[in-house]
Formats: sequence, structure tokens, C-alpha cells
Amino acid sequence: MSTRAPMLPSGALLWLLCGFLVLLLPQWDRLPLWLLAACLLLAGWRWAVQQGRVRLPGRWLRLGVMGTLIAGYVATVSGHFSVDTAASFFVLAVGLKWLETRTRRDFFVLFFILVYLAAVNFLFQQGIGWTLVTLAGIVLLLVALQMLHTPGASHSPAKGLRRLGSMMLKTLPVVLALFIFFPRMAPLWSVPLVSGEARTGLSDAMTPGDISNLAQSSERAFRVTFGGAMPAHRDRYWRALILDRFDGTTWSQWQDEPPSRLGRVDLDAGIGDLADNQYDVLMEASGERWVYALDNSRAVSGNVSPVPGNLFRLERPADTSVRYRMALEPATEDPRSLTPSERRRYLQLPEQGNERSRRLARELSTATNSDMELAQSILTRFRQQAYFYTLRPPTMPDDPVDALLFDTKRGFCAHYASATTFLLRSAGIPSRIVAGYQGGSTGADDAYLIVRQYDAHAWVEAWIADQGWVRLDPTAAISPDRIESGLRDAVAEEGSFLEDDWTSPQRYGDVAVVQWFSLQMDRINYNWQRWVVGYQGQSQMDLMSRLPGNIGLKELGYITASLVGLALLVAGVITALRHSGGRSADPVALLVERWVRALRQQGVTVPAGVTPEQLARITADQAPPAGRLAQAFARDLNNHYYGSSSRRSRTDNRQEALGLRVMRRRLSAIRRALREHPKPSSSRNRP
Amino acid sequence: MSAIKLKANRRWRAWVNRRIPREDQRHLDRRSIFILPTGAGVVFGVLLVVMLLTGINYQNSLIYLLTFLLGALFVAAMHQTHNNLSGLDIAMLKPGEGFAGEPIAFHVRLQADHDATAIDLLNDNGPGASLSVPGGTLVDGAIEVPSRERGYLLPDRVRVETRFPFGLLVAWSWLQPATPAIVYPRPITPPQAPEGSDDGENAEADQRSQGQDQVELRPWREGDLSARVDWKRYSRNGEMVVADWQGELGSPRWLDFEGFPGTDHELRLSYLAALVQERSQAGEVWGLRLPGLTIEPDQGDQHRKQCLRALATWRQTPPQGEGDR
Repeated sequence: MSTRAPMLPSGALLWLLCGFLVLLLPQWDRLPLWLLAACLLLAGWRWAVQQGRVRLPGRWLRLGVMGTLIAGYVATVSGHFSVDTAASFFVLAVGLKWLETRTRRDFFVLFFILVYLAAVNFLFQQGIGWTLVTLAGIVLLLVALQMLHTPGASHSPAKGLRRLGSMMLKTLPVVLALFIFFPRMAPLWSVPLVSGEARTGLSDAMTPGDISNLAQSSERAFRVTFGGAMPAHRDRYWRALILDRFDGTTWSQWQDEPPSRLGRVDLDAGIGDLADNQYDVLMEASGERWVYALDNSRAVSGNVSPVPGNLFRLERPADTSVRYRMALEPATEDPRSLTPSERRRYLQLPEQGNERSRRLARELSTATNSDMELAQSILTRFRQQAYFYTLRPPTMPDDPVDALLFDTKRGFCAHYASATTFLLRSAGIPSRIVAGYQGGSTGADDAYLIVRQYDAHAWVEAWIADQGWVRLDPTAAISPDRIESGLRDAVAEEGSFLEDDWTSPQRYGDVAVVQWFSLQMDRINYNWQRWVVGYQGQSQMDLMSRLPGNIGLKELGYITASLVGLALLVAGVITALRHSGGRSADPVALLVERWVRALRQQGVTVPAGVTPEQLARITADQAPPAGRLAQAFARDLNNHYYGSSSRRSRTDNRQEALGLRVMRRRLSAIRRALREHPKPSSSRNRP
Repeated sequence: MSAIKLKANRRWRAWVNRRIPREDQRHLDRRSIFILPTGAGVVFGVLLVVMLLTGINYQNSLIYLLTFLLGALFVAAMHQTHNNLSGLDIAMLKPGEGFAGEPIAFHVRLQADHDATAIDLLNDNGPGASLSVPGGTLVDGAIEVPSRERGYLLPDRVRVETRFPFGLLVAWSWLQPATPAIVYPRPITPPQAPEGSDDGENAEADQRSQGQDQVELRPWREGDLSARVDWKRYSRNGEMVVADWQGELGSPRWLDFEGFPGTDHELRLSYLAALVQERSQAGEVWGLRLPGLTIEPDQGDQHRKQCLRALATWRQTPPQGEGDR
């Protein structure tokens, strides 16, 4: 068995390897570390083989490597199957393929799977930066392919790049037109994209003391554009989840989320311009079904639906970024009262624990006359006593509510929301914790709102008779800065804002340049996500509805087909023109061509590259009367090309035109003579 | 079934032959260039469909974009591949010569008004050449055509193709050379040395024993080849005498078709070819006699080629090349 691989040119292989590495980049945070390392190692191995340092593995070694890596993969995946795990396997397969890349055929196989890898990248990363990285990978692959097909000296990568660039530039209009007009059909079938993967974001269970890791993340949660004026910072409570069940340490949802059925990944945003009361949310992939909405919102786009508790849910988990649209409604009073089962649910507490807090609730209850007054008294207690808002709270393992209220008096939103709800429930007021985000910072030119993970927040809603659910935010009582201007100002003294995240531009929010740059980048990305990545079904229909004519999916199909046809036609015509143009540039050369053609029509073999004199002789043989004319014509030709007058006459257009006319006349006479004197050619063909 | 296939094949050939005349010189243009996706190109098309399905299923705009980009590049590559071949001038130069069984080189000269990269010249059964022609320059190459028997050799068709730039498409045309190469008989050393040899002490003795050759000796005159001078005699007595052979069969200096009675004609030609080579290497003088053709004794490479050509083309008619049209 041959273990040498001399066939492939090194340059092509190197570019292909580079393409592979670049295409791995967008997946770096998704793939297990060992898999990335294995891929690098396998690619490096192949390059060392090319350098002649080692040999390609023989069959047994190759099978061994393959078996080991696949076993590692199976152990990592452990039975889950989704597109995510399939994509990891795909990467593994690409890596292994390097070990058997010997021939051009293997090279092509690698090229194809790498192209598909680029498509897989787009499933997971759609930001403009990663898009550019992936496209750069594609460019590397295409250059590699060109280098495989140009031998020797002419396969310089620069030439390949230039050629590719010019091809891309020429086809760009067609690509854009196709992108706009190609009908966006509904998915044919669906496979879940991501299996329960840990993502930064809200979770449906809250253990006070756990949540602070979110506060250390500056990842984007979502971005919002408002049709009208943006609400003030303190009014921006983005509700996502209701946590209404407490087991003594952890708050969770009473009902588990209903199992999500397989459905389409619905990216459709709303249609048309935003009305004054509407807002448009572009949510990053969260892997969850909940979405974020302000109080008194109504779903406008079809991809979100309301669920009890004034919350909204997606049809299926958001494993890619999702855009949806909501509308703000005037506040409506909740006329109905709680059902007994709801009442029981919002009053639920563990049997025992946090006895001091229960006692405090009883005291407050006797001291006040109404539920509302009681709730206010809790907030007053927080405001007046020495409670602190901190991102570095001490741990409170036992009776956390007691510990917070009476001992440490330090905590952040989750602690205070938990304590407040505990007190309210102990006092017999139905209440619940709402988890979501609060605030958010504005993007470039204040055009839209960026909400990041550190804006995560938890607050309380209490059921007050005749008023319905009323929002109570203990954090606002303790640290008004958190609600008025955000976490950064709230913990400014403590200096704990993003203390673990050295690379986040938000950490350096006070450096104007960094801030400006990061906002501009975000704006580009936001528009990219909204208009390019989010250009799907509804957005396409929306755009089409603005064009004249009633354009539906079917019409789009016709448009696409005719676009393709038209593009092919135009390209064909240009090619044809260029070629015929190149040959007819010289009118005199055209005359010679015509002469030769006339001779050939008579069945004379005219060798290519004959001199005018030879042509004249052949003509004289064929049709003796035309002999003298032909000689004169040959003389004209020689004069035109080589004669001393050629330089002079070239400046004198009129004389040249005259000469040309004479030549034309002579030629037509020659052709006439040839036609009149047909003579079998075979006799004179051989000297 | 096969009859239909055969018929279709013949019609296709006839159609191609109509488009591509038998000529030593061709200018490739739209009329005569064919283009199809290669195997890899077909796979690439399938890949694009799969990518489009992925894009539809996951409603992923960027996959749509990538698919359209690559699809458009594929079409652009079609033009690039076609243009690479279009406008190329191909001229067959004088074909090479050689012995049967050896590959015979057909020399080709390429010229184009633009850069023509990675042009492959392929012959049905033999290695071809891969050439890159910078715009406005002449590039020479050679195709080797295997030869089996003596005579005129004309490759049926030479395929001129290019897969540039991506190898996803192949554009090709055919060249039907008109000028045949000449293939000498395969030299086979005769089992017995040809009768007579000229290292005998005196030529007369040999002559007597054969009883057939007559060598007429006459004084040297101007214009006689120095090789014909009987130098042995000159060294003996200083007489410049020229041997004027009129000897027939078996003459040491005459290679004669009739010298191998009873042998197959082709084999005789092969023997003669071997003898020609032998004589030529030894620097001797020889003449060749074939039925209907006599080549006067002489020596040198020119003479050797003349003899070999005569052996190659004896009773062979040149293939129907130029007369075709």
C-alpha cells in the first residue's frame, strides 16, 4: 500500500488547509475542545506529510485513529441527536478525511464537504463578522481549487484571487437579485437544531445567590426598535418568566413548560413599518421558548402567542435569532378575581423555615390596614433600613430569607425579590416573582435598545384586590440607580461591574472611543441581522408588497426563473460580442478572411498563414482571369501592412478609407471571377 | 439496443466531423467548442441543491446567499472555461517519425490572443500534453501517439480540452490532423547475416561465390562520393578506383527485398529496417531495393531516413486526409 502522496500540489493543499482552519473558527465555542485539537492535529499531520517529514498512516493506523476519535465523539454526545451533534460529527469527518487525501478526487471530496461545512457554520453563527470569516474560508477553498487546476508557474494565488474577485464582482448583481426574489418557501421538514445546550441567559429556576453569574456577562440578550418614543429606563421591565413555586431555597415555575413540538424555526417579524405603539424585538438564540415583552403588550407578529400570566411564548425554542413584534396597549384593569386554585398557587410556601421572616410578616400584617399598605411597608423597610445592593453577596445556605432580611442585609435583585415574595405570601397576599430584564442601553444614535445579560432582573408582582397584579420592585427601593440608569451605576462604588470579563467592550464603557466603536459595530450587526439574516417569508412579502403588481410566491418563482434566464442570456451575448469584436477589429484583415473564405468555397485548400502572394497565386490557378486582380490586391495588402506609406496613410484617414474602398472593389471582382470559374480543386491540390 | 447505440454513435461522429474538418490548422470558436460539467461539477450541482434545501428548511438567509453565490460562480466558471479555449489557434507541425511500437510525437503549436491556461492535448490512447499559453506567444507541445504497425499514422482525433479554472467544467474540441506521421517497420535482426559481407579480403572472391553480383570498377571522377572509393585498393597500389555496383541480390552493399526468399513481406521490411539501422550505425554505404523502388547507394542520416521512409510507405497509400472535403 502506498503511503506517499506526491500527487497534490503543495500550494493547493496549503490553501485548502487554511480554508479548513478558517471555517473551524466560527465553531470554536460550540465544539468540544478535544475535537478542535484533533482537527488541528490531523490537518497538521497532512501538511507534515506534504513536507515529506512523515508518511500518511497505513490502513490499520488510520482505522485506529478513526475508531478512537469516533469513540470519543460517541462518549461526548451520549445518545443525543440533533443538528448540533450532527454538525460536530461532520467536523470530525472532515478532520479524518485529511488522512486519506492523496489524489485529486480526494481533494474534490474535501472541497465539497468543506463547502457544506461553511453552510453548517451559518446555522450557528449569523453575525456579520462570522459571515465574513466564513466567506473568507470559501474564498480560500476556491483559490485552492484553482491552484489545483493551473499547472506550473501560472498557479500563483494572487492570480487566482484576482480572477475569483472579478468573477464574483460580475455575478454580484445576479446573486443579489436572486437573494431578493427567490421565493422563501416554508420548510419542508424540520430537525431540532440544538439539543439542551448550556447558554448564557435566564433560567427557569432561581436560587438566590446563583444568578450573579448573569450579571457578569455582557452578551447581548435582545435588541429592540420602538416605533414611537422609547420608554424611560425605569419603565423598561421586560417580562419573560413567572416563578411561583418556592421550596425553601429555589424558585421555579409551578408548571413545567409544555413540551415543545417540532415545528418550523419561525423567524418572521411583523409586516410593514412599525406603528407608534409597536416595537420590534430581535432576540438572540436562547434555546428557550420564552420571549421578552413589556407590560401591557399584545403580540403582533404570528410567531409569538400569549400564555397565562401575560407572558408570550414561541412555537419552539429559539435556536437561532428570532425577530418578533409587539404592540403596547393602554393598561386594562384585570376585572376578574383569582380562582381558588390560583390563589393556592400564589400563596404556596414550604411548611417550615425562615421563621423570623414569617413572624415579621405577621407583625406587618397587623400593623397595616390593606394589602397595598402592607406591600408598601415592606418596600419602606428596605428603603429605610441599611440594606445594600451588591454583586458580591455572602452565601446564605440556610434559611436564606431570614439571613438576608436580618443578618447580612446584602444581596441583589434575586435575593430581595425572593424575600419580598416570601413576606407577602406569609402575610396572605398572593404574589409571584417575575424574571426578565430591566433597562438596557441605547445603541448608536439612540436608534434602538440593546439589552444585555447583565440587565437580567427579578421583581415581584402582588395581587391586590380591585387592581389586579401590581408590580413591586424591592431593588428600586434599595438601589434606585439600578432601575434609573442600570447596573453599571448601581455598583459603581463596589467596582464589581463585569469584573471577570476583561474583553468585553462594555467594561470600558467610560472610554469614549471603545464605546463609540462597539456601538457602531453593534449597529452594523443589528441591521445585518434585521435585513439580511432576517430576510425571510414575511419580510420578503413585505418588501414585495411595496413593489407595483401583486407579487406572490408563484410570481416570485417566475421572476427568479426569468432572472436566471436573463443573466445567462446577457452573459452569452457579451461573450459572443467580445469574440466577434476581437476578430473584426481590422477591416483589412476582414477582407483577407473573406478572400480565403471565397477560395475555400470553391473547394481549394488554403493553408493557414499564407502570404498575400501565395493567395494570389492560388487564385490565379483557380480562375486565371482573376490573376492580375489578385496580384494587385496582394500588393495593396502588402502596402497596407508593410508599405512605407502605411504610417503616413494611417494619419490620413481619408486616404486610408479610399484605399480600403479600392481593395473592397477588387476583392468583389476576384470573388466574382472565382464564382464564374469553378474548377475541381483536387487536381491542383498536390504539386 | 446496441444497434441503436451504434447508429447514434455514428451519427454523432458524422455530426462532429462536419463541424470539425480534417485540417492541420484550427481556430477554436463557439461553433466547435463543447462544454459539459465534469463528474465533480455534477457533484457540485447536487451539493448546491442540498445546500438550498438546508437553507429552506432552516430558513437561513445566509445559506441561501452562499448557495446563490456559488451557483453564480459556477455559471461564471462556465464562461471562463469556454473562453479559455475559445480563440485558441492550434497548428500541427511536421509530425515526427519512428519505428512501429514506439510512440510517435505529433508536434503542436498553440497560440491565443488571451491567456489560455492549462490546455490539455489528449489522444485516445496515449499520454498527452498540458500547456499554458500566455496571450500573444507561441507555445509548442507534443502528443505521443502509440504506433502498432508501419505505414502512415494519423490519430483519429486529438482532443483539446481544458478544465480551467475550477475543474468543475470541461470544455473541449477536437483536432483532426491531416498530415500523417510515418512509421517505420519495427526493426528485426534477420536470423542469418545477409549473404556476403564486405570485410572479406577481396570483393571479387565474394562476387564469384555469389555469382550474381557484378562490380564494375572504374577510375574516380569528380563528383563521385568519397565513400564509394575502394580505399583498400588505394592503400595497396595508390589507384583511386570507384566501385560501381551493379550487383543484384545479396550484395553486401545492396539491401534487397528479394534477399529473403520465402519470408513474409512485412517481416522482410522489418529485416531491411534492421539492416538499414545497422549499416547506418556502422557508417557504411548501402542501397535499397524494393519492388518498384530503388534507392541508390549512399550513406548518412538523410539517406537512412529516406530508406526507412521507403520501407514504411511501401505499398501504402496515404490516409484520406485532405481529399476528404
